[in-house]
Amino acid sequence: MKAAIQLDDLDRQLIELLAKDARVSNRRIATELGVTEGTVRGRIKRLQQDGLISFTAITGLQMARKSQLAFIRVQAEVEHTREIARKISELPPVNAVLVSMGSFNIIAMTLFEELDELVEIASDQILSIPGVHHVETSIAVKTMKYNARIARITEARITEDD
Amino acid sequence: MTKIDFTFDETDRQIVGELRANGRATNQQIAERLGLTATTVSSRIKRMEDADQLRVVAVSDFAAHGFEVLIQLAIEVDNRPASQVAQELAAFDEVFAIHLVTGRYDIDALVVLHDFSEISSFMLDRLSSVSGIRSITPSIAVDIPRYQFEVAPIEART
Repeated sequence: MKAAIQLDDLDRQLIELLAKDARVSNRRIATELGVTEGTVRGRIKRLQQDGLISFTAITGLQMARKSQLAFIRVQAEVEHTREIARKISELPPVNAVLVSMGSFNIIAMTLFEELDELVEIASDQILSIPGVHHVETSIAVKTMKYNARIARITEARITEDD
Repeated sequence: MTKIDFTFDETDRQIVGELRANGRATNQQIAERLGLTATTVSSRIKRMEDADQLRVVAVSDFAAHGFEVLIQLAIEVDNRPASQVAQELAAFDEVFAIHLVTGRYDIDALVVLHDFSEISSFMLDRLSSVSGIRSITPSIAVDIPRYQFEVAPIEART
């Protein structure tokens, strides 16, 4: 996990503003927060460089080609956990991978549209990775809450599937 | 779901692609890359935003909020509708995602905490106040090699 970084009030105000709308101009942010445009530009650049924020487009479910979420719990050989987690995270349909302590040591999340796609990811691709002993899949049937604006910022990977 | 007639064409998708790569690109920059006018880019973005199908946002890292602990909870519910239990859990700030799921468990929740010392109060004060929870199977994340969601339910602007 990344170490927590000390941010000041201005950083937090900037993050809050940009989380609502990232396309607001530096000038408008500067006016709203009572600082100079240069300060805004510099702060944004630093937050980006530190991997604390990134700007992206989030699309709604109607626009999505894949709108179903599934959790795939994986039991993998403990001595190879890191390597197996990396391999799973490189599979294009996989959106998130957590290495965890628990009865399953890797949890993957994926978006899919047809059940066939989920079977392909879980039972074919993940299960065939050497060292993976067992996978268990559960499908999200209803989202009660989801905050897409907080995440782990990893290196950008441009996906074709919207 | 009232806006079922809204459709996206290839131009919309191309614009979204540019915004995914750099959400702060100006309309002019996007227009030049796609061979469109800045006005078209601007009106297309506005149309998608107004239909609640697009938000161009800053996504901030867990660390930016001081969250150092991510726990996934698989929850079994007993004697109560799972949706009610999930609704109650969703009200907690620590719960940033919660879904009703199929399979062995009924609810899947993602919880963020500032540090491990908060686990006891979260378990004892928060979770134990919710009735209908039969069991909780927690998985504490020790590493997050990937976390990238670009599709999400979009709330209407207020």
